[in-house]
Amino acid sequence: MSTIGDWNEAATELNTIVESFDEGEVSVDELFVKLERATVIIEELEARLDATKAKVEELAPRIARVAEEQ
Amino acid sequence: MVLEPASNDDPILEVGEFYQLLTAQLESAYGRRHPCWVRGEVAKVYEKTHLYVDLVDAGSSASDAKRPVLNAHCWASQWNPLKRKLASDGVTLQPGTVVNFFGYVDVYAPQGRIGFTVTEIDVAGLLGDVARRRQELIARLQSEGLLDANKRLVLTPVPLRVGLVASPQTEGFNDFTGQLLHSGYGFDVVLVKTTVQGDAAPAQIVNAIEQLDAVGVDVICLVRGGGSKGDLAAFDDERVARAIASSSTPVFTGIGHTGDESIADLVAHTRAITPTKLGEELVALVAQWSERHVRANARKVLSATEALLDEATEYLAERRRTMIFAVRDRLRGERRHLSSTRQRLLIQSQYVLASAGQLLASNRQLLGAYDPTRRLAQGWSIVTGADGGVVCSLADVALGEVVRVRVSDGSFDAVVNEKNGASS
Repeated sequence: MSTIGDWNEAATELNTIVESFDEGEVSVDELFVKLERATVIIEELEARLDATKAKVEELAPRIARVAEEQ
Repeated sequence: MVLEPASNDDPILEVGEFYQLLTAQLESAYGRRHPCWVRGEVAKVYEKTHLYVDLVDAGSSASDAKRPVLNAHCWASQWNPLKRKLASDGVTLQPGTVVNFFGYVDVYAPQGRIGFTVTEIDVAGLLGDVARRRQELIARLQSEGLLDANKRLVLTPVPLRVGLVASPQTEGFNDFTGQLLHSGYGFDVVLVKTTVQGDAAPAQIVNAIEQLDAVGVDVICLVRGGGSKGDLAAFDDERVARAIASSSTPVFTGIGHTGDESIADLVAHTRAITPTKLGEELVALVAQWSERHVRANARKVLSATEALLDEATEYLAERRRTMIFAVRDRLRGERRHLSSTRQRLLIQSQYVLASAGQLLASNRQLLGAYDPTRRLAQGWSIVTGADGGVVCSLADVALGEVVRVRVSDGSFDAVVNEKNGASS
């Protein structure tokens, strides 16, 4: 079961983590925890993206046929 | 006609002799030296170096089996200049054209045919009674506002339910339905069969239009292939024109050949020049809608999907890079901080050690000032009693007590003989 929310929620959480790094708010103790969380989010989003791409690759030729009908 | 009884005295002619006689008789009346004008409607026409025309009585119907036909021809030497003249007048000889031919009779015995050699063509007679009546009808329809009545109807954007008024299995019917069938779109054709020429045609066409209007189709199509003016006369009928104008459904026409324009064409919502073109126009309407609402949107969906996936892919790649660099920078920062702290501690430790060393040396120097050996060397001595304690006061010794006196290079014992106070 996924531990992250939907795409937008997960992206927001990921952005927050990245911003905390940018602003130097991450202590060394927190660093691993945040890095691990960011990695989980990125991997989960990539898996969802790959799954979506696979579905799109299946559907795109069907839509393309409609688009190119003469 | 009363036939004279046969007589044995009559000469028996060979076929060739008969044709020679017939030709001589006809030529004496309508031959090269006695040309005449013949007026008729072009039923068939084709050109192959020379011009060949089947001429019929104007307004006659092809369904009339006894309709007389004159096989006229115009040899190239005559036809070429005539053709240029007709072209300059904007006139084309085609089925339905009513024309006056000037020429002479031409008997062709090998095929037993009587033809007509054309030497002159007069198209001035084209506008005859039929044309005048037609103009009057158009004026009437115009004055009643019926010419535009059907044109004002709004056509549904996707006219797939098609009411068809036609004669099945005719060329026009096949041309029209062929376009719809081969389009790939789901046209639903509701056919009301009618004859499309002859006296019964107008009433049948009117009934078909009313029937389809009541059924509720998207468009009603009147379809008829090419023919002579007479063949197409039903579509110049006032009843048909009024039925089209009264229809609450848009009526499209595809009647005859290119160049034919019937009253039905004028009153119709949309007119195509042939049944084939009418089919093409309907298909084009659906195709345009499909292009705008289906294909264009499909392309947009594809494009947007591709852009969204690219954007999401780039976003994740960028976040991944950012995280790697952020963590690396953070760790480097911490490492630099620790290294700096270690360096600072080292420097501070060395400073503390150096300070302690200096203090120690100072103390050592200070202590040196108090070193008793230096005092002994200066002539001072240290006296200790019998108990080993340093004698600092008269009270520390007793008379007769043996004390030890320490000097710079050794010690000696002494006996206390007398004690004298400092005041004495």
